[in-house]
Amino acid sequence: MLVTRGLTKTFGSATALQDVDFTLEAGEVHALLGENGAGKSTLINLICGTFPPSAGTIEMDGRPLGAGTVAAARAAGIAPVFQEFSLAPDLTVLENLFLGREKRQGLFLQKRAMRREAEELLAEIGFALPLDRLVSELSRAQKQMTEIAKALRLRPRILILDEPTASLTDGEARHLFRAIGLLRGKGVGILYVSHRMSEIRALSDRVTVLRGGRHIGTVETAATSDRALIEMMVGRPVEQLFPAIRSRPAEEVLRVEGLATADGAVEGASITLRRGEIVGLAGLVGCGRSELCRAVFGLDPLAAGEIALKGETLRRPSPNAMIRRGLCYFPGDRAAEGLALARPARENAGMAALRLPALSAGGTVLKTWREGAVVAAPFEDLGLRPMAPELPAGAFSGGNQQKVMLARGLLQDFDVYLFDEPTVGIDVGAKADVYRLMKRLVEGGAGVVVSTSELPELIHLADRIYVMHAGRVVTEIAGKGTGEAEILSHYFGE
Amino acid sequence: MTGQTASARSGAPARLPLQKILRALRMPLAILAALLVFAAFSPQVLTVGNLRNIALQASFLMIFSLAQCVVILTRGFDLSLGFTVSLVSVVSALAMAATGAVLPGLAAGLGVGLAVGLANGLLVGAVGLNPLVTTLGMGNILLALASTVSGGFPVSGLPAGFNAAFAQGTFLGLPAPIWSAALLLSLLGLVLHLTPLGRSWYILGANPRAGRAAGIRAVPVLVAAYAICSLLAAAGALLMTARTGSGEPNLGGNLTLESIAAAVVGGAKLSGGEGGISAAILGAVFITILSNGMNLVQVDGYLQQICLGLIILASLVLSRGARRR
Repeated sequence: MLVTRGLTKTFGSATALQDVDFTLEAGEVHALLGENGAGKSTLINLICGTFPPSAGTIEMDGRPLGAGTVAAARAAGIAPVFQEFSLAPDLTVLENLFLGREKRQGLFLQKRAMRREAEELLAEIGFALPLDRLVSELSRAQKQMTEIAKALRLRPRILILDEPTASLTDGEARHLFRAIGLLRGKGVGILYVSHRMSEIRALSDRVTVLRGGRHIGTVETAATSDRALIEMMVGRPVEQLFPAIRSRPAEEVLRVEGLATADGAVEGASITLRRGEIVGLAGLVGCGRSELCRAVFGLDPLAAGEIALKGETLRRPSPNAMIRRGLCYFPGDRAAEGLALARPARENAGMAALRLPALSAGGTVLKTWREGAVVAAPFEDLGLRPMAPELPAGAFSGGNQQKVMLARGLLQDFDVYLFDEPTVGIDVGAKADVYRLMKRLVEGGAGVVVSTSELPELIHLADRIYVMHAGRVVTEIAGKGTGEAEILSHYFGE
Repeated sequence: MTGQTASARSGAPARLPLQKILRALRMPLAILAALLVFAAFSPQVLTVGNLRNIALQASFLMIFSLAQCVVILTRGFDLSLGFTVSLVSVVSALAMAATGAVLPGLAAGLGVGLAVGLANGLLVGAVGLNPLVTTLGMGNILLALASTVSGGFPVSGLPAGFNAAFAQGTFLGLPAPIWSAALLLSLLGLVLHLTPLGRSWYILGANPRAGRAAGIRAVPVLVAAYAICSLLAAAGALLMTARTGSGEPNLGGNLTLESIAAAVVGGAKLSGGEGGISAAILGAVFITILSNGMNLVQVDGYLQQICLGLIILASLVLSRGARRR
């Protein structure tokens, strides 16, 4: 149905995509796989007309597709759903679904007809969305579902999904997968971008792998192993994504007792952490595990409970106090809370260490002249690419932004590290780098807490796992070697 | 997101140097262009006397735009700046007239500045009020105070030494206000680039939540920003008072707008986290040349105000465009 030939896109002197031949058939789910910066986004943007190609052609049903404009692509039935939301926050879900394409009779909106159509659409794809709620009041997952529903309302022939499950819970994701199955049955061609291997395997018929802007290959998903796909993607054999961690649990370093947050997201959680071990926090998105980390670090106010860090009891933690006492927290949303994207990577790495002797004399003079050398070491350890500390943090790819943020944990020795969703939206190569960092920290004698949606991370990294549900810790189970089903069985509170 | 970052990333290494050079040269070229345009209309513009005059005028505005830059850096604003200047002028003049000495006047003026800055800073930083509305309200209070304290008339009877030292005084051929501006600019340059406080302003301005999560304590950092802003305004007010030789309740009339105009035209971003000494200097020089030129070419006073407003709007539009790209 959709064919690209020799598709090339250059930005200035840099080539983002080179000579890519790609086909999408009607009624197939075609996964697009590649590290950040491999050209996935460029290819998607070319197909949906965000910008015209520098060379090559895009054909739909044998006819060339417009002049590389969004309007032409939309007229041809191509509907993209990007990670960034295009919703109007102050309108309701219903109003957003019909935004700019309202049903009207003369001057009047046909509200009842729009509501009926929206209800039918949501029933058909199995999304439960509150039609009259303002978009600004929705969770990220609900916004994502609204965005998808909005695209589907136009009955597209080609649906492009860019990491659609990044913010969905497993239950919501299942609805999405079912909707994708339905659309496939109706002959819609679906282009699916995801970093999650299990999704690609469950959903897709074929996989196209891009690397460095080039087309590496297109394979039948069923006939190809995960290992082969990863090797195509990173261009070298991957011995193991997860390093072998020699954990040696020693004395207790962090104890959280009956913790509850003022906003009610955590309602009585108790965990302990020892030096030399990794503790996993499992549970659905919204179960309170991210909020538990935030509360321990002092970002969200406590309603009850106490925190003992290295034996010192704290009832009112603050980020500043926790950092000084040896606890480091890596936010789950690096763009919102982890990085000052407009500032250089160098300043981002150093911003939690402004009073550290290496960077400042007595906390009053910043040794700006030494800063570059000081942050270069952690950047090299983490494999920052490009190795350009003066570039604004926002100019790096997702995985490398994550490394810029993680560098702050290497500038000083912390006793406890809290990772919240450390590998969201980053590619396989960067994930391996993050896991290696955890190995290094734990083997160096620190305690590590990982709150994650990724079951493989729990199974391969954690010594013990706390499963949370509705703000409480429902159970503690062994980590390494435990099956996915065993962990999942606790996700709904049993 | 990925589309834009991917393109920005792949395009960045090749384009960055040229873009940087262009951005760095934009203001100097605009300043040169403005000078030449006015010179074409009036031969007086490029005389030594007028250039001296411009330098002197600009040195006052630089101090005020620097003050404004500091709070803009933190996503803030100081709409009370002009009225701070008025109140400082009146209070310091009264103190000097009463005691017959310069020092009590300096202390009273800087004290007023510090108090205003702390109040603004606590309201914005600790209470969390919107900076625009907070400083707007504060400005109104200061205006009323300045009028009441002075009775609405200039305060005269200042010691002669005040004018002699801070207005007439020269060192190596340069007048005192220029030296003062240079001193304050270098001082703030050091604070911005060589202290944790300056760095915290940049980080909190670029992303307050990230700053907090990195352990930066927002309240003292913001209070310091507003305090330093108002102290700078007070220092500028003392210099201007020395020059006029009396305490003027209307001294700051136009300065709020001019200081914002200079900071924004010079390159301070209202979204926070960008801008610095060079924005204050270049912006102040540009605005001063503009008003000096319009005076010499005899542009009507109201028309001048319209031009000032248009320039603020134009530079906002331009900086928006630059960010989109």
